[in-house]
Parts: sequence; C-alpha cells; structure tokens
Amino acid sequence: MSVEAAKERNGKTLSEQSVLGGHASRTQRTGESLPFSDGLHLEAHRWLVDEAYLLDAQDYDAWMARIAEDVHYLMPVRVTTALGAGYSTSPGMAHLDENRYSLSRRVARFATEHAWTEDPPSRLRHYVTNVRTFRTHHPDEIIVDSAVLLFRSRGDVREAATVSAGREDLLRRTATGWELARRTIMVDESVIRMQNLAIFL
Amino acid sequence: MTDQSGVLQDVRQGMIPAHIYNDKEIFELEKERLFGRSWLFVAHESEVPEAGDYVVRRVLEDSFIISRDEKGEIRALFNMCLHRGMQVCRAEMGNASHFRCPYHGWSYRNDGRIVGLPFHQEAYGGEEGFKKKGQTLLPAPSLGVYNGLIFISLDPDAEPLEDFLGDFKFYMDYYTKQSADGIEMRGPQRWRVKANWKIGAENFAGDMYHTPQTHTSVVEIGLFREPKAEKRKDGTTYWAGNGGGTTYKLPEGSLEDRLRYVGYPDEMIARMKEQWSQEQLDVVGKDGFMISAASVFPNMSFVHNWPRVEEDSDEVLPFISIRQWQPISEDETEIVSWFAVDKNAPEEFKALSYKAYLMCFGSGGMFEQDDVENWVSLTSTAGGPMARRLLLNSRMGMLENGDNVVEPLTTEQYSGPGSTRVGYSEYNQRELLLRWADHLERPVEKAAQLHVGTSAGQTGSLNGPGSLGAAAERTGSTAVETVSREG
Repeated sequence: MSVEAAKERNGKTLSEQSVLGGHASRTQRTGESLPFSDGLHLEAHRWLVDEAYLLDAQDYDAWMARIAEDVHYLMPVRVTTALGAGYSTSPGMAHLDENRYSLSRRVARFATEHAWTEDPPSRLRHYVTNVRTFRTHHPDEIIVDSAVLLFRSRGDVREAATVSAGREDLLRRTATGWELARRTIMVDESVIRMQNLAIFL
Repeated sequence: MTDQSGVLQDVRQGMIPAHIYNDKEIFELEKERLFGRSWLFVAHESEVPEAGDYVVRRVLEDSFIISRDEKGEIRALFNMCLHRGMQVCRAEMGNASHFRCPYHGWSYRNDGRIVGLPFHQEAYGGEEGFKKKGQTLLPAPSLGVYNGLIFISLDPDAEPLEDFLGDFKFYMDYYTKQSADGIEMRGPQRWRVKANWKIGAENFAGDMYHTPQTHTSVVEIGLFREPKAEKRKDGTTYWAGNGGGTTYKLPEGSLEDRLRYVGYPDEMIARMKEQWSQEQLDVVGKDGFMISAASVFPNMSFVHNWPRVEEDSDEVLPFISIRQWQPISEDETEIVSWFAVDKNAPEEFKALSYKAYLMCFGSGGMFEQDDVENWVSLTSTAGGPMARRLLLNSRMGMLENGDNVVEPLTTEQYSGPGSTRVGYSEYNQRELLLRWADHLERPVEKAAQLHVGTSAGQTGSLNGPGSLGAAAERTGSTAVETVSREG
C-alpha cells in the first residue's frame, strides 16, 4: 500500500495521525505524477539516488545537512487487519516518529566510539526505485513517492536482513538545494526481520 | 532425549553451560515443560477497550484470540476452527461480533460460542450427529488478569495468577498502577532477532553491570544522565515472588522531589500518593530508590527510564515499556514491545513519554540497539562444540564458599518485599534460571483431549454402528466454559 493510499480514519494522512507529527508540514500533492522528462522529477530522482549513496556509506553528517529544520520522519508499525477495517497501521504506535532533534541524537550516537551495533559497521545497500514526483500548491515544494529495499549484512556469515518499504517524501527547495521536510515510510512487514533499526530508510 | 540433569545441576550452582543459549534439545524441553504450563503475558485490557475488540497473540506456535465479548468479559480463545482446524481469525487486531471460518463457514461469537454450522441438519443429522449446542472455540486452559495485564497458561491446573506473581505485584504497581485507572498500552512493535529468549529476560531482571559499558554512547550524546558506572552501582537489585528487577539510587530529597527528579508532574505525583501503599511510597521517598528494568519469570519484562527528550532543556521525561521475549527457536526471539503510560497522565506528558520510549527502547531505540547486537553475538557463539565445554560464571555477588559479597538490606533500610541488595550482582539472573531448571526437571502430564461434537463414550465406530470408539477423556466440550478473571 502506498503512503497516499493509506489515508486512514477520517481521511487523515499518517503524518497527521501520528503522535509526534504536530509540527509537520501539511503540504499535499496535486494533480497527476509529472512526466519522467520533467525537470522537477529529474531533480527529485537525483536527490533520492544521492541520498541512497550517503545512507549506504553512513555519511550521516552529509545526510543531516539535507534534512529540514521542521522535518517529520515517520515509520508507522504495520498491522494485519481485515479487508475493510479501514486501517493497516498500529494506532498510536510507530517504529520511528522523529523530529530533527531526535534524528540528530541518533546520528550523534553513531559518531561516538561506543555504538556497538554499528561497530563493525553493516554493509548497506539502499535500492531506490518506482520514483514519481508530484507538484504541490507551493512552487518550492514537491512530493516524491519511491520504493526502497535495504540490504544489510553484518559479520561474515550471518544471514543478511532486508527491509522493503514505500516512502512518501516532501522535498523543499532552499537556497542551498532540496531538503527533506517530511518522510513517511510504509514498511511492508508487520514483524520486522532485522535486529534493530539502527539504519535509515 | 539427552539427559539434562548435569546441565540443571550446574545451573543451580550458578555455573551456566554456555550451550543452553543455543541448543535445540534444551529448547524442545523448554517448549514442553516451561512454556507448556507457565503463566505467560499476552495482552493488556486497554488493547481491547470496547465490546468486540480483539487482538491475536501467540504462545509459541499456538494462536489465541484475546477478545472482549458483548458482556465485556475478556476471553482467550484458541484460534482454530472446531471442524477442520483453520484459523478463524487471520487479522492481528480489529473489532468483530463473530469470527467466521473461511473454509466451510462455521462461525463463532466473540465469546467463542458456535452460532453457525452450515447444513447442520442435512450434513450431520442435526444434534443427533453433531452436538452444536454449547460448543465453543477452545478457551485458554487458564486465564488471569492483574492490573489489566492478561496472562494465560496452557496448564488447566495452574496456580492462581496472583499467587504466582506473589510479592512481585508490589513492584508491578509502579509500572502499571500509577493511578486508580491504571495504564493504557500502545503497540506492540514486533521484530525478530537471532538471539535466545533467555538472554533478554536475564538482562532486564538484574543486569545493572552492563549499563555503563553497553550504553556508554547514550550518555555521551546527552540522552541519559544516569548510567555512569558510579551511579548504577548505588542502585539495588531486588527479587520478590516470581520476578525481580533493578533500581537507581535517587538524590536526597522528599518523595515529591524524587518523583520530580525523574520527570513526573505534580498532578501525577498526587495520584501516585493516593494509589500506592505507604511501603510503596517509602521505597521512593524514604529509601530513595526508583525502579528501572525488571522481569517476571519466564519471559515478560518491564523498563522504566527517564531520558532527556527535548533540545534546550535539561528536563527528563519518564517512560514505561512492557515486553515479551517470544521464543521462535533456540536461536531466534520475537521481541514484542509495548509503550505504556498512565491513563490519567496529561496528554502532553503522554506524547513526550512516548517520544522517550521511541528514542530509548523498542525496534529503533538507542539503548536497545546495542543490547541486541551483544545478544545475537552471544547466541551465535553458544551454538558450537566449544561452548559445551565452557561454564559461564554467573555467581556475581557470591564468594566461592557461597558467602554473600553484600548482605540484603534490612527492613530498617528498605521498605519493599523480597530480597534486595545494593550494587552489582547476578542474584536475579540466578533466580530466573533456578525456576527454569525446576521446570525443565519436572515432566508434564499428558494434557486432556477434547472430543468435539460427541458425547463421551458414545462415539460410534468408523466402520458402522455397534462397536464403541475410544472413550473421551474429557467432556468439557459440551459446556460453555466461562473464563475466570483474576484481580
């Protein structure tokens, strides 16, 4: 299910429903997805691919430089519900429901010498695909949908872990480039098959 | 099956054969003799607040529907159709007046009673062939509730839940009864880790010793001010009833000062003072200790911590998490982790407490990330032949001759029940594993079988009338069983 399709209960977006998203931008998409030749789409696609390389390399300082002050970074908990139940995320619970401060603490922790879960570091590969871009009512804000598959390998022979998710991003143009102002991550599993979320999607 | 008496004997001496953390035969024994009869946490009443609400929870391979029926009673129903054994509920939460099996359409009320059996007359000859009246989805053999926490046991003769919890209830109240209305629970987050289930339960029960090493990073980034080595060893470990946990030493001050120190607002403190006994208040106000992590045997844990969650503020916010270490195999555990908060807490407190939980514990929590890395590594190493030669020393707090390094606090020094000591030790880990050894040593009796739709001793031969089939061992299927509630 895409993030857009997951407007649940009262037609509210997941960011609106979340416990800690009160500060988040409410900008929504307008119209059809842009042609793949559209300049905005090309910029958005490039931004996501560049971001994937930063996350693979765990270059989190460079990543944080692309995160807006008012960011809302949300990864709801998915639940299996009957068709027609009207929701597929756990009410009031997420895996991650972050603002810039909490993201900055996560990143700062990896910069210490005592974040054992990433020492030795994982080998990461973010595969980003199914990218499409939408205009919004703001000329400097666009909505970008994408699918992401993360491959994470730790140690020499441990079975690697993967996470599959759909994302909806709000990108905002600033004087220094595009910034991530809102991200909603619809993970495709109810039970995460990875030892922790010491990664970013 | 291999004789495990040597392993159990070593464990009772506080020497742990390392392979018990990754051993298929031991795990099979745990499934049968421990999880087959122990009280196990499954859900909280606040997860099913309205009639018809349900969640589906597992006890190892068995799926149970935890529902609130139309009369408001909590039910725990084995999620298996009485006819051909399909799961009658394949969602994990929702609201339903009935559960209908998708295979042949048998349907059941949310209290378990069968209501729909298509072509009962034509196919079975009505009640003469299949006694539909009074049939119900199998209820959990035992069900108990304390402070809204729902436990089930596969043992129909399990001792009452409150007797099992015993004096640990005193400590459970700090987490789940901060006001008369108790907690609301959100989640759970669920994720699977390649670690043995016992490691987490032991860690939460008493491992103050790991905090300054494993969790150095969260202090360095300003998230937490407590876990420095010199702070942690001033706290206590306590064991009471069938559970135990750890505390932090609080700075000098009144009860109110100390509850404010960990971030509780005055209105919540006022309700705690109304709710808790004098002894419960004295552990904080007089003795100066604040509960942190804890475990109830065998696989339920609690955590209470107070990180700094906002920029430009030195204030801390307390959170509570409740979790279950759900065994999947000898080397895999599903962590099922909920956020809990007092129902009467101010909304702003609830939101920030939730933020504190997400930052520290759960699938993305910054404390938890490093714990799991250690436990996965331990489990992996425990699987090989060398681990069978190594007895891990789990005797911290005891000299070789059995004398204590530190004596328990006296009733003058400490107001709570159980055995409580200041400083690092592994008494609680040993308490958990002693109970584990007791279970593994004791064979289980064969469970009674349930014959669906027939009267005991009246089952005709498959080859025709005249000869009697095996006598039913139990006739409970003909009566609607009311699930009892505790507490």
